[in-house]
Amino acid sequence: MANVNMAVDFGGVKMKNPINTAAGTFGYGWQFSELMDVSALGAITTKGCAAEPWEGNPAPRMTELRGGMMNSVGLQNPGVRAFAEQSGPWLADLAEKGTRVICQVAGHSTEEYVRALELFDELCPWAAGFEINVSCPNIAAGGAACGSTPEGAAEVMRACRKVTKRPLFVKMAPVRVPEIAVALEEAGADGLTIINSIQGMAIDVHTRRSRLCKPKGGLSGPLCHPIAVRMVWEAVQVVDIPICGVGGVMTGEDAAEFILAGACCVAVGMASFAEPDASVRILHELEAWAESQGVSDINELIGAFEC
Amino acid sequence: MPNPSPARVHDFTVVSNEPIADGIFKLVVSAPACAAALKPGQFVNIAVPGNAMSLLRVPLSFAAADAQAGTIEIWYAVVGDGTERLSHMAAGDTSTLLGPGGRGWGAPAGCARALLVAGGIGVPPVLCLARELAAAGVAVDVVFGAATAAKLVGEAEARVLGAGEVRVCTDDGTAGHHGFVTDPARELLAANAYDYVATCGPAPMMERVAGLAKEAGVFCEASLERMMSCGFGACNTCNVQTVDGMKGACMCGPVFDASKVVVF
Repeated sequence: MANVNMAVDFGGVKMKNPINTAAGTFGYGWQFSELMDVSALGAITTKGCAAEPWEGNPAPRMTELRGGMMNSVGLQNPGVRAFAEQSGPWLADLAEKGTRVICQVAGHSTEEYVRALELFDELCPWAAGFEINVSCPNIAAGGAACGSTPEGAAEVMRACRKVTKRPLFVKMAPVRVPEIAVALEEAGADGLTIINSIQGMAIDVHTRRSRLCKPKGGLSGPLCHPIAVRMVWEAVQVVDIPICGVGGVMTGEDAAEFILAGACCVAVGMASFAEPDASVRILHELEAWAESQGVSDINELIGAFEC
Repeated sequence: MPNPSPARVHDFTVVSNEPIADGIFKLVVSAPACAAALKPGQFVNIAVPGNAMSLLRVPLSFAAADAQAGTIEIWYAVVGDGTERLSHMAAGDTSTLLGPGGRGWGAPAGCARALLVAGGIGVPPVLCLARELAAAGVAVDVVFGAATAAKLVGEAEARVLGAGEVRVCTDDGTAGHHGFVTDPARELLAANAYDYVATCGPAPMMERVAGLAKEAGVFCEASLERMMSCGFGACNTCNVQTVDGMKGACMCGPVFDASKVVVF
């Protein structure tokens, strides 16, 4: 370790290394506290919370697919107040240890995002920044719509921008990424998280029913990786704000692809379910790769893809 | 903060892995620390090695855990890619498992007589409970069912552990009572005074058994099955709808107070 500087600046969130966790795949962090050294990571992103508790969808919420999985959790969460009360002390301690905590913000409308963010800003002084989830595909009431047009995404961003001075990121749906990225940058986003899960369907042909509680679900895992790398690379061409690459990272080389495509940090998702400490292994593998590239600073490799 | 899961990642070595019925295998693994910690009704989440297209662990109940020998005995049905590949693991093969997971059975204090009803691959966790109750001096009656005789497991083990009544059923009548486990369960509940009913198997079966227990005024627990991503409380995918809201099967279950379950 330490032959390569791994520290990166993700839109004002100064991370000691580029490894982050994808919201919804890492709980509130403490679920992993006995299974790995969470403080080894550059940052964690906590599962989305809304102003009020959401019960989420009925079962079945998950189905496994070749090379990945599909979920329809529906953003079950206890609400920001309960989150801050139950998980805040542990997360404050994690922040003390130098791992940045980014809290994901959920809502069904601009007003709900603003209300949730107001609560986060008030109740979570230890949070380094916030990630607005305008792209969760599971919310019938309009979450998908907010993030699926440049105007809708920018409206949420502009309203949220007035609420906090801390860094604000947007978790982007894998649709119209370049144009929405530009709109979000103009609306004041400090960075972008690309991509959220990809909408898919899985039908049980014997029962003729969905394998989830709803017809559609969100695909994640390695099957999404090449698509996510492409979308990060396309966004990098059109915005100057930093990007966190997300999608099917299972190894250090998968993370390195995002870095080369132009992401300044990388979030580990599904891998943490199968192998709780995957993110730490991926960090070490990424570091070894950076060293093998003969650089002294990982920042030299951000966007170093040669087409 | 709420307590994290007690589950830890443990290395294991396969001791044996043999078929015991049509499509059902008995896997014995050596994993001493986990074997000593497991309680009946909990589960382990197994990483099946190999170049897999299915990446998540396979959550499985267990039929016995031997703290002295350091072994865990798991009976599993081959139902998908993960269990299919698991069936090819051989003695000496190694991987990891995550456990102990979840909340196990909780027979009421002072329980004198229990009725245990299981169907299909729901038998192993119930058998494990039966052994524990019998060892504690509780009178145990069991009803085990399967689709057909070739898939029926656990009858011999139930007799060995000293169960009073051992009733078996098959959907096609090839062994024991021709019909569902709910028929003998109803008879036994009418004939005897029980303090506890425990059940594991197909969801409609558990729902009916819970209904019979409720009619008889007996406390009932059911071990539920859900698709699970992590098994330690981080993913929110294994939800169970209860009268107290959504509860994760991996942390609040898999064993639930049946009277609180809305959707089995």
